[in-house]
Amino acid sequence: MDDSAKQLLRLIIRRIPSNKLYSTLRKWEHLSKKQFESLDFTQPKWLICDNLLSLCEENDLSAKHVTELELIHRIEQPTQGAWHVCQLIDAQEEALTSDLLQFRESFKLHLKGLISHVAVKIKKHEDDAIWIRIAWGDNFTKPNHLKPTYVVHHLQTPYVFLSGLNVKHKPLLHQALVLATHHESIKDVHLSGRCLTALRDLLMRQYKQVFPVKHPRPLQERSPLLTHPNIENEHAKHAENRLQMASEVFGDGTLPKLETALYKLETRYRGKERGTMGAREEPFRGVVRFSSSNILESLKYCTSSGMAAAPVTPLLSSIVQKGRNYFVITDKGPGLSQTPGPKV
Amino acid sequence: MEPLGNATTTARNQTATPRRSKSYGYSRRSLGVELASRFGTTPGHLTAVRVTTNRGIPKPRNLNDQVDPEHIALLVKKEWKLSYVTPLYQFRHTQLKSYSKQLATFIVTEKQKGVAVEIGAETGFKVVFTALLGLAEGEDAETVFIQIYSKPVFATNGEAAKVVWSGWLSCIAGEADFLRSLPPDFTCLPLFGASGAESLTALVKSWFGKTFDCQFGPLAINSTSLQWLAALWTACNPDVNIRYLKLAWIIPAQPPLDVSYTVHSQDAWELWNSIQQEGGLKDKVDIKEVTRFIRGLESNFFCHFRIHLSAGSLIKVSTSLGSAHQDGKIRISSSDMMRSILSLLTECALLKMPI
Amino acid sequence: MVDLKPLKREEWRTPVECLKEGVLSHLNVLEMEALRLSRKQQLSLQQQSRVDDLRIMVEKLRAQRDHLKARAQSTLSLQQLKAMVGQRKEVCDDDADGDEEGHSESLQLHLSLLMAKRAQVKDLLQGHHLIGGYDVTEASRGKGVCVSIATAFQGHYLETYNLELDVARTVRISRHNIPPFIPLEKLAQDNLQTDLREFLGTLSKHLNAFAGRRQQVCLIQEVLKGSVEVMESNALFNMVVLMCTEPGQKGTAVLCTLEYSDLTRFLPTKVVIESEDKTLPTTPKWKEHQSLLLETPAHTVLQALKRKGQIV
Repeated sequence: MDDSAKQLLRLIIRRIPSNKLYSTLRKWEHLSKKQFESLDFTQPKWLICDNLLSLCEENDLSAKHVTELELIHRIEQPTQGAWHVCQLIDAQEEALTSDLLQFRESFKLHLKGLISHVAVKIKKHEDDAIWIRIAWGDNFTKPNHLKPTYVVHHLQTPYVFLSGLNVKHKPLLHQALVLATHHESIKDVHLSGRCLTALRDLLMRQYKQVFPVKHPRPLQERSPLLTHPNIENEHAKHAENRLQMASEVFGDGTLPKLETALYKLETRYRGKERGTMGAREEPFRGVVRFSSSNILESLKYCTSSGMAAAPVTPLLSSIVQKGRNYFVITDKGPGLSQTPGPKV
Repeated sequence: MEPLGNATTTARNQTATPRRSKSYGYSRRSLGVELASRFGTTPGHLTAVRVTTNRGIPKPRNLNDQVDPEHIALLVKKEWKLSYVTPLYQFRHTQLKSYSKQLATFIVTEKQKGVAVEIGAETGFKVVFTALLGLAEGEDAETVFIQIYSKPVFATNGEAAKVVWSGWLSCIAGEADFLRSLPPDFTCLPLFGASGAESLTALVKSWFGKTFDCQFGPLAINSTSLQWLAALWTACNPDVNIRYLKLAWIIPAQPPLDVSYTVHSQDAWELWNSIQQEGGLKDKVDIKEVTRFIRGLESNFFCHFRIHLSAGSLIKVSTSLGSAHQDGKIRISSSDMMRSILSLLTECALLKMPI
Repeated sequence: MVDLKPLKREEWRTPVECLKEGVLSHLNVLEMEALRLSRKQQLSLQQQSRVDDLRIMVEKLRAQRDHLKARAQSTLSLQQLKAMVGQRKEVCDDDADGDEEGHSESLQLHLSLLMAKRAQVKDLLQGHHLIGGYDVTEASRGKGVCVSIATAFQGHYLETYNLELDVARTVRISRHNIPPFIPLEKLAQDNLQTDLREFLGTLSKHLNAFAGRRQQVCLIQEVLKGSVEVMESNALFNMVVLMCTEPGQKGTAVLCTLEYSDLTRFLPTKVVIESEDKTLPTTPKWKEHQSLLLETPAHTVLQALKRKGQIV
């Protein structure tokens, strides 16, 4: 084990919270059962780290094995960085049948064909997601394990989740992904956030959507009842309609956790103060940013409580329907148009 | 009301040469009904200070002619947490040196009473009081700036003491009638800004309280004042490019939703200009115009997102010239417009003050 | 004697006070008290009955309202409209030289016919849904429809998928909850504009086949736990690798790879049997199992094999 590998191990152990150390190391299959049991997790972290280093020396482990530990940790803690999403376009026939083995080989082959110094680690997670850790180097330097790129992909789906990718490596990674997944091209879908599962649920439609049905089922427990029965009755009907509408747009139950949505407005002034502004041809430029611990929940609340007027504007419903949270709004064509996003 | 005396005259005469009278500032109008609805407070102290319903558009001027640029630099860029202060009893601008020593001694004594560990790390506090001459006008008392320096125990000889806290007391374009009506021996510096450790702020406040028999209270900037700032900043865009106008609201959804709307400076100004043109008076801004300006922005937002921003509250306004937050934190990034911001805040402080 | 006038409030005395003034007066006071109480009781009884009356009245009015509502709705029922259509026809025949009145009547007739037709289509849809077809509901205030496609496997209802179609101009999918690996975009390109029924039919086949394949894997994991292991499967469940063990001392592991290239079917198109014992896949027994797996759902085949002791 060389110094850089030791340094990397120390760094990774430092990053893993103490309470997760046990479970993470357990998943790392490079220590024997006896060796694992010899570690005392009540000790301070630096001491555990020292013991671990000697065990690694014993087993003759290398940087390759250490990066696997980081990959395991990252899978356990997917909210550590910002993720953004790309979509693969025009699947070929083979895309439907490709499996992990083929993908792993093909991806490594293509990426290494494009750049010589690169370290790739691929692991399949329990939920069938393929996790890829890439440490980049260039023609003269060894791969930098301190700033790896993470890629998450579910085979047979068109979505790829990326974290820690810099502009320089983007074309290389894109090309390798397109080739390995048997697609024609790849594009940015303008969706980003910290919560990987939320991005996935939103795009793969794994959250509870509400559709109009003939016999609407009760949506959820309503807020405490008002005292006057007639007022209550009147209000309840309105509230129910609003809630049904909000649920049809944003979904029901726990909604995917997106933190922000950003709109660049390049539209003409539409507000009340028309005067000379109404006649103005040039756009009224501005940027609107929504942020909350869960913007979909917040926007749904605005709609169901009446703070937002009905019906919900396509600008907001596009977050869920198009699965994106960055938009440029212009006046082209009738109504408000948006820059093209993923279809269907 | 017959002025009872002028507590600040002495101080000012000693510290500054008499200047021309106010060239711009506020022309006031009594409000009556609007007042009560806007503040919902007891009308008692409002008889002394009136709410401004229109203001002159500030012409950004080069303050460097009147104020030492080094003094201006002290106020710029830092974030200040604001409080209001009731008038100071027997405060003298001539005694600043002595106050410096008194405050330093006070801090050291208090620190010794408190946590012993802290004193180990920082011995010797040095306090410097400075009068920032030239900012005040009319009946105002001159602004006082305070810096606290601290030198680590194990500092090497050459190492200079670092500024660990700074703050100031100011009164810019304070209501003249009110200032004149103060009993003698009272100096009114109602606006207090602090930047540094909370514990030091508390010590400074308590020293002022003991020494000058005054009281401090938190100064929140209400949404009307924030709207005024937004409008005044936008209005001066042709003279000083504000680059952007950013308004932030918080909507009481569950979970709370933060909405920020950043408008291009030129477009914001054109909206403002279209409202002003209808208003007639070019050099004065009326509260109605301010309200229309904000409604104009909110309604454009509504036409896009169909969310009523009025359901929430405006909490922050910022431009490249500075920012102000509802919780009483401000940042002044440029000396242009500094005086008009401070005068607006002085007014807020006077209104908030329990007299 | 004591005055019999009812006592005013300030004149009330406690019985103990009265006792001092003699028995008669005491009795008198008690009598008064009794009278007062009975009057009070009567009054409250009256009030109670009044409240009850009002309550009944409210119930009656409510019932009447509901009745009227129901009638208002039922007046638009198909039968009545049809009867109306018949009547109008007669009237029109009588009044051949229809002027303005005739015109408005024909408009009315047209409207009624449309309503009748709508009701008929609704009934048809309901019937279609009852026999397992799609459920179609009006959506986004008349600008679209929402189609629900129910999936089922071997008589058990599984997930229901929804598709909201915008039909204002061209038919467009506005939102849906169909998983991303179902080639919805391709299906839409083929048929959405030209043949909606065909589009929904193919989509339903895809969804049912997917649900069926997934259900088989679930059942294997549930019912054959500890016997057959699912080694690998993917999101689309079109490639499933199962491992089972030959009985006997050696306990040879056998890998069955099921490939489903026809995504509209829940049965594999190719079954590959592999084992460490190279001769095993060529034995007639395993050849038979192989062909069985091509024809019958995997969990049924494997369950049968387990019962017969062909696998552990």
